[in-house]
Amino acid sequence: MFYREAGQFKTSYRADMTVFPILQDRIGIIAILLIAFIVVPLTSSNFTLHAVMIPFLIFALATIGLNILTGYTGLLSLGTGGFMGVGAYACYKLATVFPEVHILVWVVCSGFVSAAVGILFGLPSLRIKGFYLAVATLASQFFLSWCFIRIPWLVNYNVSNAIEVPRRTLFGVAVTGPEATPQTRYWVVLTIVVIMTWLASNLVRGRIGRMWMAVRDMDIAAELMGIKLLNTKLLAFAVSSFYCGVAGAMLVFLYYGSAEATAFSINQSFAVLSMVIIGGLGSLLGSFLGAALIFMLPILLPRLMATFGLQIQSATAEHISFMIIGALIVFFLIVEPHGLARLWQIAKQKLRVWPYPY
Amino acid sequence: MLCVKPYNWACKIFVVPFMEMWDLPDIFLQTLWEGLVGGTLYALIALGFVLVFKASGVFNFAQGIMVVFAALSLVGLHAIGVPAFLALALAAIIMLVLAFSVERIVLRPLVNQPDIILFMATFGITFFLIGFGELIFGGDPKVMITKQLYIPTGTISIPFAGGAVELQKLDITAMVVASVMVAVLAIFFSKTRIGRALRAVADSHKAALSVGISLNQIWVIVWFAAGLVALVTGIMWGARSEVSFALEIVALKALPVLILGGFTSIPGAIVGGLIIGIGEKVGEIYWGPLFGRGIESWLAYMIALVFLLFRPQGLFGEKIIERV
Amino acid sequence: MRAPDDSTIKAGQTLLSVEGVSLSFGGVKAIRNVSFDIKKGEIRAIIGPNGAGKTSMLNVINGFYHPQEGQITFKGVKRKKMRPHDAATGGIARTFQNVALFKSMTTLDNIMAGRTLRMNKNLFWQLLRFGPAEREEIEHRRKVEEIIDFLEIQHIRRVPVGRLPYGLQKRVELGRALAMEPELLLLDEPMAGMNLEEKEDMCRYVIDVNNHYGTTIALIEHDMGVVMDLANRVVVLDYGQKIADGTPDEVKANKAVIDAYLGVAH
Repeated sequence: MFYREAGQFKTSYRADMTVFPILQDRIGIIAILLIAFIVVPLTSSNFTLHAVMIPFLIFALATIGLNILTGYTGLLSLGTGGFMGVGAYACYKLATVFPEVHILVWVVCSGFVSAAVGILFGLPSLRIKGFYLAVATLASQFFLSWCFIRIPWLVNYNVSNAIEVPRRTLFGVAVTGPEATPQTRYWVVLTIVVIMTWLASNLVRGRIGRMWMAVRDMDIAAELMGIKLLNTKLLAFAVSSFYCGVAGAMLVFLYYGSAEATAFSINQSFAVLSMVIIGGLGSLLGSFLGAALIFMLPILLPRLMATFGLQIQSATAEHISFMIIGALIVFFLIVEPHGLARLWQIAKQKLRVWPYPY
Repeated sequence: MLCVKPYNWACKIFVVPFMEMWDLPDIFLQTLWEGLVGGTLYALIALGFVLVFKASGVFNFAQGIMVVFAALSLVGLHAIGVPAFLALALAAIIMLVLAFSVERIVLRPLVNQPDIILFMATFGITFFLIGFGELIFGGDPKVMITKQLYIPTGTISIPFAGGAVELQKLDITAMVVASVMVAVLAIFFSKTRIGRALRAVADSHKAALSVGISLNQIWVIVWFAAGLVALVTGIMWGARSEVSFALEIVALKALPVLILGGFTSIPGAIVGGLIIGIGEKVGEIYWGPLFGRGIESWLAYMIALVFLLFRPQGLFGEKIIERV
Repeated sequence: MRAPDDSTIKAGQTLLSVEGVSLSFGGVKAIRNVSFDIKKGEIRAIIGPNGAGKTSMLNVINGFYHPQEGQITFKGVKRKKMRPHDAATGGIARTFQNVALFKSMTTLDNIMAGRTLRMNKNLFWQLLRFGPAEREEIEHRRKVEEIIDFLEIQHIRRVPVGRLPYGLQKRVELGRALAMEPELLLLDEPMAGMNLEEKEDMCRYVIDVNNHYGTTIALIEHDMGVVMDLANRVVVLDYGQKIADGTPDEVKANKAVIDAYLGVAH
């Protein structure tokens, strides 16, 4: 391995329970954060920042949201797109009705709106389980999609039925709207995603994460231990929808700049679900890896093919990406159901003892 | 007129639609017919689900895309000059190849895995087929080769209550074909040796294996049967509208059908399909305008959701008694 | 509003009793009119042939099954049926015949999960982690480590329990039940599938728990040697009915029990 991990003993429970117990891992995460905050914006082109990094971070956040619901708590959901949309439209309404309040406040608050909707559609989860619950989430997805199209109040009676993002600033620097530079938007998105990832990691490491996983693994035993099933499941829906809602709001306000209802359709739900599966169910790292793989695949593919001298159109790249994603999903399920995250752990494990295979 | 002001909304929801049905019975009958037809098509898709689930315990999320893929293969073959019925046979063979591939590549390695894993695998298959289909056939909608297959077109007009009810010959054909298929499948499952083996496999992979049933053969047979059902569904549905990937999403409506009818019941799929089809159509025509049109897109799922709240195992499903 | 329960039950008095309990599933009568009691501080064995209704009885006590007839009195409170949550908060913990651990979680996490009822820092503090939530986590980690030491499973702390051999899984499950600091511990065949050495270990743990923590124990067990050694009193079930109730020696000599279950010593 690159560094010696042995010999680092913990002398307190506190030290044992930290996210990165190994010193070198801690250094590693600080390095990653430094790279993300400083190196990337300075060295990447505007295009990379805008078309790759920002949406990748946003989708990673949505994937964390779905992972909490499906990966940690075991509640299969096909309604992610709808919850993202709730966040986006809530943010828009709040921003236009209260223009004095800062936009980022509304981005975060839209998460609460989304959480409330999530709880509402999560109520059936007490009676309904497994595949049946997935179909119930389809109800929420299609209903919300219909709402986005059919309720003109949501888009402030805009004729084109789309949201148009108003210009907003932060400390005098344009954050949304056409003047906002990719760098500014990148920093805002990065900060929000980093903070929310940290919060999520605290949750899943503690009592609440254990409750979720207990409900996933054997809800009968969990109940007999005093865990209240409905509360736990509803909390999962609430937190998950919160994350998806914030991701949706950021998607519109800090990336697209405008939005139509199609951005939050069932296809979006499928996309995020595939990110969760490939990245690894029940893993925060996996959420990032899965989002990275699926999001960047259609973008990187033409470049990759170009290095081999093959030119393909972007549409073809998308089709091939779908095939690769489908094949990857099947591949991971056969080889490593815990996705990229687990592959990463296994790789680290192998590297630790390299060059000895045992 | 009856509606007194303060109770206007209640009147609009609970009284007016029924009066509309009564006032124009020919339109009501037409709506019922349309619902029946739609329901039949949903039932056909659900049938494919039930086949695979009943026999292999796998919830085949890819059934919808198989419908699209089968139809696309048929049309695609014809477009490059293959005569209609030969194309039909070739399309069936393509579905057989698909069944073999799925069994070999996906199902065999995942024997004995929990159901959720198998479901996600079919999710992966869906993605793959979407990409593959778009790559080979292109994403634009195609026209079904109805004439070449000698499927009757045109309408029969039945005068009724001052107006007329228009029945498309196409739809009648669809109903007949569906009924025949259902009958054949029902007999297959209950009477034949292979049918019984299929039911054994659905109960437990391990048990079936230990008794010597060849899982591989069974899975190929089942997925091929589902593929044939998908082909027929694709033809009928494509003839009604067009052959496009949007069908994949509409196919998801088969899920509420399965909820109503249960995942393992063939008659359940039919009944469920009809209930959903008619309910959806009637809801759209008579209550739709109240809420802003387009409620068809979610009404079926809401019906299923409400249903699940009262009976979490569906109409025909078995009550799950959990043993600790 | 929970009915106040009598937490001042002294050793020797009745902690839990079932009276006239009958349970059926559809047409199958699993339990017919069974009554017995469990006194505080004792080890009560429930024995009988397979299918006698022993596990169902535990499930009724736990609140997982609701009997059609009869009542359950726990800590002085009479109930027509128990609710799982009430059982848990009232101090009833159990292990299962087919180990019901959270397979993807580590040993440590499984046992920590048993502390859930006693952890109450809300969502806000959990999000933050620093401060009250972390202190709570450490405090309960201490308790869990005591249990891990007691059961000698330190070496598998961080192993996902799905990977553990059966005997160790049963021990972890015992640990998880102990983490609830129960007043009444229900053990469903805790020694099943173990070799002699493992059985002796498990016996030792059961006796220690009873002596050291004063926990009342009800256990289902097939190994008569274990029952004779461990139990203060025994109740024997057969085809859902109670056919004997008394000390191990009394039960061993009971004709009905011998006919139904024990057989005659050769």
